[in-house]
Amino acid sequence: MGEEIIKKSQVVVIGAGPAGLCAAIEARKAGATVLVLDENDRPGGQLFKQIHKFFGSGKHWAGLRGFRIGENLLKEAGQLGVKILLNAEVYGIFDDMTVGYIRNGVEKAIKGERIIIATGGIENALPFPGGTLPGVMGAGGVQTMVNIHRVLPGKKILMVGSGNVGVIVSYQLMQAGAEVVGIVEAAGRVRAYEVHLNKIKRAGVPIYTSHVVKEAIGKDEVEGAIIARVDDNLNIIEGSEKHLDVDCLCIAVGLNPQIELPYIAGCKFSYIPERGGYIPVFDENMETSVKGIYVAGDVAGIEEASIAMEEGRLAGIACAGSLGLYDKETEEKLKKEVKKILRAMRTKHDSRIIHSLTGIPSNDRFEKGPVAVIECKEEIPCNPCESACVFGAIKVGEPITNPPVLFEEKCTGCGRCIPKCPGMAIFLIHKNYTDKTSLIKFPYEYLPVPEKGGLVSCVNRNGEIISRGRIIDIKASKKDDGTKIIAMEIPKEYFNDVRGIQIRGDGI
Amino acid sequence: MSHEKNVCICRCEEVTEGEILRAIEEGARTVKGIKIRTQATMGLCQGRTCRRLIVNILSKHVDINDISKLEIGIRVPVRTIKIKNFIYDEGKGYE
Repeated sequence: MGEEIIKKSQVVVIGAGPAGLCAAIEARKAGATVLVLDENDRPGGQLFKQIHKFFGSGKHWAGLRGFRIGENLLKEAGQLGVKILLNAEVYGIFDDMTVGYIRNGVEKAIKGERIIIATGGIENALPFPGGTLPGVMGAGGVQTMVNIHRVLPGKKILMVGSGNVGVIVSYQLMQAGAEVVGIVEAAGRVRAYEVHLNKIKRAGVPIYTSHVVKEAIGKDEVEGAIIARVDDNLNIIEGSEKHLDVDCLCIAVGLNPQIELPYIAGCKFSYIPERGGYIPVFDENMETSVKGIYVAGDVAGIEEASIAMEEGRLAGIACAGSLGLYDKETEEKLKKEVKKILRAMRTKHDSRIIHSLTGIPSNDRFEKGPVAVIECKEEIPCNPCESACVFGAIKVGEPITNPPVLFEEKCTGCGRCIPKCPGMAIFLIHKNYTDKTSLIKFPYEYLPVPEKGGLVSCVNRNGEIISRGRIIDIKASKKDDGTKIIAMEIPKEYFNDVRGIQIRGDGI
Repeated sequence: MSHEKNVCICRCEEVTEGEILRAIEEGARTVKGIKIRTQATMGLCQGRTCRRLIVNILSKHVDINDISKLEIGIRVPVRTIKIKNFIYDEGKGYE
């Protein structure tokens, strides 16, 4: 450590992503001195790449875009006086709770009474022939290029992996103007939430389940890809190969926890493949097997950002409690609140359970006037639709994973719920708009925005063009943060089929 | 996963799946065993990309549940940093 006197902080947090920031905020709230170290030149972790609206509880910033949540967290941390040190690469944790890091080419160290490791996850690699060609890249890298630096990695993209990351990044690539040629998924079914998948399907993106990338083709860079069907044992079925004309392969095949620091700190591990592989063992306070060292977020098992934030809060509160900054009662009360949220968010999501659509109006109700149609039937921990409706026509209740129920007699057809659904799964339909036409209002986040009064090609849920429609109105409220609401007149016979407009080609 | 033997597993050290399978044939049963035979995980990224792939390949031959038996080779420094950053000079301080 050289000659330098080692500095001290009651809590040292490693990683300024959603988990680390929330941990720091909670520890600081209790009065602890907190230092957050992050190797990047800006804080926020993956949050600032997330331009989509997040699922979650209305109370916890659900419905906000990821980067807005990042802005809110940084503001809160700043107001509380949390110190964040950027460009600080932590290279080790030593026996006496000393964290070593390099900043501006200089070795430094800080000693923490408690250490919270929130180093997140790292993307899984996928080995295949041609997989080292320029143009094959991870979904995280693609997001950085597109959403931070505003550079398209390609024009025609093959997405490999159909989890939420693959599907969300596909949507973002299309928003940025690229064509997503297809999504390849080795499993027999799509792994993402259905509402995310539906956005992609409406855009007409082909989904190749039970398919893998056999090879990326190209001399100096990707010029194409060969995909092939696989059997139940993931063996390629000969003769099923298909050539796709693409210039970029985006790999989104999951993440694994970045366990280097807990490993060298001597933490015990367990192997949980569905959480990303090796995971440090932790207790109900997020404390590892090494006393005083806590984990939170993806390093404690790959889950979602909203869960990472709550785990961070839990670790922060527990650290503060163990430092004597909270009395036992307050600590328990605070932890109980967070645990309740965590439990609700983790309520087993099983997309094989198909609920009857509880958000769809009856035929009678369609006849009577404009009404909301909620095409959300999965167990997603999300409820902004419920609080969006001032008439009490939408109920999610508890647990928060309940699919929304529409009380059609209470729905006035105001449409306030449309932009509030992060899954873009709410539509407003006025079946008897005129004798021959219906009016549909739907959320829209692509460019270019169609012109008012213009004729467009209307698509169904699978992105097939089934009709022509006329744009009646476009509403772009600042409150909706970029989500436009398009009102479109369509032939009445398609009121239950049209769910959007063609976003590329000659549609607009 | 594709089963082409010349698929690259460790990009930094250009080690293929075939070379890793050969190391296992020769008796390697840990990440370290593979590392000392092939140099996989010894490059610039220090195994951050390929370590998991190697463990996956190993899983067909050994029980991978107990990380402590795999000699996965994580050690300080866990980031790629310059040795000169650790050298302290009485007169000049750190380089």
